[in-house]
Amino acid sequence: MSRTIVTLVGKDHVGIIATVCGFFAENNINILDLKQSTSQGFINMMMIVDTDAFTGTFDELNEGLDKVGEKVGCILKAQHEEIFDMMHRI
Amino acid sequence: MVELNEVFETVNMVSNYNLDVRTITMGISLLDCIDPNLDVLCGKIYNKITESAKDLVKVGDEIGSEYGVPVINKRISVTPIALIGGAACKRPEDFVKIAETLDKAAKKVGVNFIGGYSALVQKGMTTGDKLLIESIPQALAVTERVCSSISLGSTKIGINMNAVRLMGDIVIKTAEATKENDSLGCAKLVVFCNPPDDNPFMAGAFHGVTEADRIINVGVSGPGVMRAALSEVRGADFETMCETIKKTAFKVTRVGQLFAKEASRRLGVPFGIVDLSLAPTPAVGDSIADIIHEMGMEYAGAPGTTAALAILNDQVKKGGVMASSYVGGLSGAFIPVTEDSSMAKAAEIGALSLEKLEAMTCVCSVGLDMIAIPGSTPATTIAGIIADEMAIGMVNQKTTAVRLIPVIGKDVGDFAEFGGLLGEAKIMPVNKYGCADFVNRGGRIPAPIHSFKN
Repeated sequence: MSRTIVTLVGKDHVGIIATVCGFFAENNINILDLKQSTSQGFINMMMIVDTDAFTGTFDELNEGLDKVGEKVGCILKAQHEEIFDMMHRI
Repeated sequence: MVELNEVFETVNMVSNYNLDVRTITMGISLLDCIDPNLDVLCGKIYNKITESAKDLVKVGDEIGSEYGVPVINKRISVTPIALIGGAACKRPEDFVKIAETLDKAAKKVGVNFIGGYSALVQKGMTTGDKLLIESIPQALAVTERVCSSISLGSTKIGINMNAVRLMGDIVIKTAEATKENDSLGCAKLVVFCNPPDDNPFMAGAFHGVTEADRIINVGVSGPGVMRAALSEVRGADFETMCETIKKTAFKVTRVGQLFAKEASRRLGVPFGIVDLSLAPTPAVGDSIADIIHEMGMEYAGAPGTTAALAILNDQVKKGGVMASSYVGGLSGAFIPVTEDSSMAKAAEIGALSLEKLEAMTCVCSVGLDMIAIPGSTPATTIAGIIADEMAIGMVNQKTTAVRLIPVIGKDVGDFAEFGGLLGEAKIMPVNKYGCADFVNRGGRIPAPIHSFKN
């Protein structure tokens, strides 16, 4: 399984998660876990997703997320999970 | 499972504090290219480099994109060219032809620098070594991406003062050959004492003769990340400060380790080392001088700076060593002037002098680096500065280097601009008293007593 972490930061409003999840559903990307926190009207969210069934390249995934980001007024970014494990786990 | 705060710590390091992988450098041995016919030799060199590194840039960019940390530079280092061209080159112009071949190969595969236009002359110079050194001014003027390094001394052997004196002239001639561009050629020329065989950073990278046919070395970065981490413990005691540097260095180095292993796997080339050096850029906040400021100095160069740099260098190593399976290269803090906007500022206001920089090189990994000096500086004075720095490296059993840029036609206080990562700075004053009678003596400085360990 190819586990990717998608992060989202921006101003919180109704429909952010729905729009992002819609993009994942359209592209055969399965959400494995989702964590978020909101503070003073801003949202920080991370989603662990399985990109095995996604047919595009990693650049195409990030381009798609950029478009979703424009729609919801947030910054989205996909990164392989391994980078976080390497940095934060011994 | 990774936590939300950890994920955003990493994301912030990249987006706010310039975390990047500074370079993925492929070392390529050219020993199997040696040929007495210059045209055949150049053909073999071009083919070996372009075949070995054809996917280097693509793979570097892919890894950067997939892990979300940019790989700023993709580079190549080759076996010291004095060894490779010795049989074929009968005059300096022949070596220049090899430099042009290296430049052409670098452009073909898309790397921004290729290092290894080098000679190792710690003890003496062969005919090939001397011809290569004499060819440097022209070679660096007619090429764009070729970097040159000359090893002039080592703890085990001593210092070749004939070569030191010669390099004083060569630095001036290189400056003159590129005077239209603020003597930019000298930014691609460095002299060393105790150079490592596996350094991924330019201008000093070369592929040592003890290395494998090809190797992947990675240089990490992260001054901005380090400064941000230290700002969280402002006013805390030395123990807390040191622990913060170590933990941050660990995280930064882990990125380098991951990228090195991944680049090695995708390119089918063995992993060599991760170089732990904190390498600044002219970008705001990506500065070693800013770290020193954060540690408590008003400006880099103020009293206390050498102690602060010693702490930084040591703690970066202690944190980084555990994060990588093989550590090598220069591994410490770089203190270039023009490439670090806050260091340039400290020099401009007089907080930082050439002499203080020399003291700082006693405790960090490199040396007098990217310092613009008056174009009228005598060659003997440059040789004297080189000799001082080589002596520091020789006696302290460490790498030291000199990359001075005598900017032809400009004087103290004038502005020198090199562009891109090479940066800009005002020209610093040099001690006006001479040392010609010392550097003109000729011969070698013997190895220090503590080198005799057998």
